[in-house]
Amino acid sequence: MLRRAVKRAAELIIILIILSFLVFALMYAAPGDPAEKRLTSQGIVVTKEILQAERERLGLLRPFFVRYGEWLGSIARGDFGVSFKDDMPVAGKLAAGLKNTLILSSLSLLISLAAALPLGIVSAVRQDGPADHLIRVVSFVGNSLPNFLISVLLMYFFCIRLKLLPVIASGNLRGLLLPALSLAIPLASRFVRQIRSELIGELQEEYVTGLRARGVRERYVIWKNVLYNSLGHIVTMAALAVGTLMGGSVVIETVFRWPGIGKLVMDSINARDYPVIMGFVLIMGTIYMGVNLLADVIAGILDPRILNTQK
Amino acid sequence: MAKELLSIEHLSASYGEKDVLTDISLSVKAGQIICIVGESGSGKSTLLKAVHGMDRVRVTGGSIRAFGSPVSAMTDEQRRSLLGGEIGLIPQNPAGSFNPIRPFEAQLRETMQSHGRQFDPAETARAFEAVGLADARGLLRLRPYELSGGMNQRVAIAAAMLLKPRLLLCDEVTSALDVTTAGKVIRELEQMNRELGTAILMVTHHLGIARRMAEKIGIMKDGRMIELEDADWILNAPVQEYTRQLLRDVPKLAGRERSGEESAGGLDDR
Amino acid sequence: MKIKRSVSDQRKKQRYRIIAASAAAVILIAVALLAPMLSPNDPYRTNSAIIRHAPCAAYPFGTDNLGRCVLSRVLMGARTTIAVTFFLVAVSFVIGTAIGLLCGYYGGRIDDLLMRVADIMLAFPQMVIAIAVAGILGGGIAGAMTALGITMWTGFARLSRSHARTLRGMPYIQAALLSGKSGPYIMLHHILPNVLEPLLTNALTQIGTTMIGISGLSFLGLGIVPPQAEWGSMISESRAYIQIAPWAVLFPALATILTILVFNYLGDAVMEYRMAERHT
Repeated sequence: MLRRAVKRAAELIIILIILSFLVFALMYAAPGDPAEKRLTSQGIVVTKEILQAERERLGLLRPFFVRYGEWLGSIARGDFGVSFKDDMPVAGKLAAGLKNTLILSSLSLLISLAAALPLGIVSAVRQDGPADHLIRVVSFVGNSLPNFLISVLLMYFFCIRLKLLPVIASGNLRGLLLPALSLAIPLASRFVRQIRSELIGELQEEYVTGLRARGVRERYVIWKNVLYNSLGHIVTMAALAVGTLMGGSVVIETVFRWPGIGKLVMDSINARDYPVIMGFVLIMGTIYMGVNLLADVIAGILDPRILNTQK
Repeated sequence: MAKELLSIEHLSASYGEKDVLTDISLSVKAGQIICIVGESGSGKSTLLKAVHGMDRVRVTGGSIRAFGSPVSAMTDEQRRSLLGGEIGLIPQNPAGSFNPIRPFEAQLRETMQSHGRQFDPAETARAFEAVGLADARGLLRLRPYELSGGMNQRVAIAAAMLLKPRLLLCDEVTSALDVTTAGKVIRELEQMNRELGTAILMVTHHLGIARRMAEKIGIMKDGRMIELEDADWILNAPVQEYTRQLLRDVPKLAGRERSGEESAGGLDDR
Repeated sequence: MKIKRSVSDQRKKQRYRIIAASAAAVILIAVALLAPMLSPNDPYRTNSAIIRHAPCAAYPFGTDNLGRCVLSRVLMGARTTIAVTFFLVAVSFVIGTAIGLLCGYYGGRIDDLLMRVADIMLAFPQMVIAIAVAGILGGGIAGAMTALGITMWTGFARLSRSHARTLRGMPYIQAALLSGKSGPYIMLHHILPNVLEPLLTNALTQIGTTMIGISGLSFLGLGIVPPQAEWGSMISESRAYIQIAPWAVLFPALATILTILVFNYLGDAVMEYRMAERHT
């Protein structure tokens, strides 16, 4: 168990290094000049000399591998460099944004699971009943909605037509409600579909017939067995959804101007602020892989057979 | 006359898309051991499934009455309390009848509670001993996937015994076992029958097992019961040519006592 | 054996669902192809005299902030979205399948390497990669397609690889090898036809997701940029004055929802049909 987790963690680090290299290479080859962008945004008239000096100062002129090596070395010490835009440390910017993003994402994940678990269970246990049909239609539609669309529509109806909620997400729960819902609606719909098919599959397992033939009460069959056995898959499903939430939060934070890491990266993309974009990718990747590693461990504890089969 | 526990009259049933049972009549009385013999595909397992009502077997004609009431008219709850409590089942693959990843103790506790009884460790240990399982306390902490198929099978039989059903349905109980274990299981079932008066309806492709245990033997072929008579009658003076052929195919053995042990399916105990 | 009625009824129902969904998809594709003919106005002509005009006879969906006809832009947007999506899915399909077949058939080092690359791609959240890559490449159709395509090929590659691996050991493949057929010949004539069905189903289910991705990137300004008509960027553009001219947001939004629903429904219907086929 422990050895497996360690092995996965080592793999994680290798993957991160490879990815950091790819991102760095891509950025190296990218069009657009951060030095020029920076100067124009500061209102400086760009001449060849000024531009060259700025490039020199930002370290853009040194060879590729030197820059990559230095950058990777400082990352390992927790130093993500300074922003091209305002010379502030990238690590501090990312940390501040990350906190807000975590608040929004965890709230969305909680809402999604709280809605999807009961609906998925009802849908699977009463398969082909009227409730199942209704839940399937709703979750199909919800799963097809892009979150930017939901956010715009929710904003239109609740903030402009009904004037119930603020347009810009403020720190309180009222302000967070719409952004969280925008992320949660498609996610919950996907969860319902996944939980439903997972449970239906589990209900067809041989042991379910065995328990029923022994006259075990249905509530024990469902809650203590079918649901327990599916828990590992549900945890894995939720961990994979963290990736969707990360992408979604870029969109939603931009729409609602929520000062998270997603909004930060959009602002940085517009300013060609490479250190921030790279820090964003690495942090998101680390969190995502860490969460999935954790989910793997949890799933392994819940169903020890996984460890035996997936040597 | 002993009480009639199960009465099947002119039963026809389909499984999935196929009609698999045609006009079956059968009655099981308290304390009786009846064996149904047939090749795979003869419909013998479906017959059991029709009785316990699981696995989507659809009754298309005739009736099944269990303990006096028609099975088709039972509510889910009535059927549930009947199953396990009054009608025990040892399925074809008893190892698969437990949730593989939850400890036996939790599962047995829930089974007992489902039938309004308390889980009693001492009683459970006695039942485990009866099927040749020592160290009940240790075993109860284990999860089914950690044990061999044969061990699981014995726990399943012990679970069935704990509930003390008046009728036990057995589906090919020995097919997945090695010769020694199969012999043990047969002896355990016989013991249940003797000591608790449990009636047994057993389905098997082995005429040898039937010869050893059964009071009555039924022969099934292509979804029909072609012969159903007292065991001695079937074994000594079968009417049907098919039965005679089945008898010829059973290897000649020294005596009835040993024939239960020739039932090996060839699989090891893992 | 007598086939139970309910089962064949269910098959029939599934088939009707596929036919209905395909018909709707064909209509959408036709609208996209015929967009220039169907548009009542020039989708790119701005007109300061009719800025943010409510829907009327001449402009059934109203006009946007620059006085452009929203209906015409929604129709042209269908063209952009569907064309870009189909192109991207097709390219991922071809590249992914080619990689998968080569890896599965030949195995060895290249197989190890490419599958590791696929693993790395899958170890990362797709949309995070897409946003970062599109952001670095600076937006535009090509950038957005590259950003999404980077991860999309992996699904096709894994699917075709696993099929190629199983098929490679089949006697008829061995026979073809013995009769002197080359590797590429065998892959194209014996393996590919057998993988085509699951691959096409996968492609079908990818359409909806790809549309969401493309319009999402465009909404962020990282995909198709104005003035070219695309629903995501139209919504993003018109969002600022949604209070005054909601139609400029709502109609492209409706079009997006409708299109994604149709293609997702088609994907679901085909998946269900194939799953049921495997069970009978």
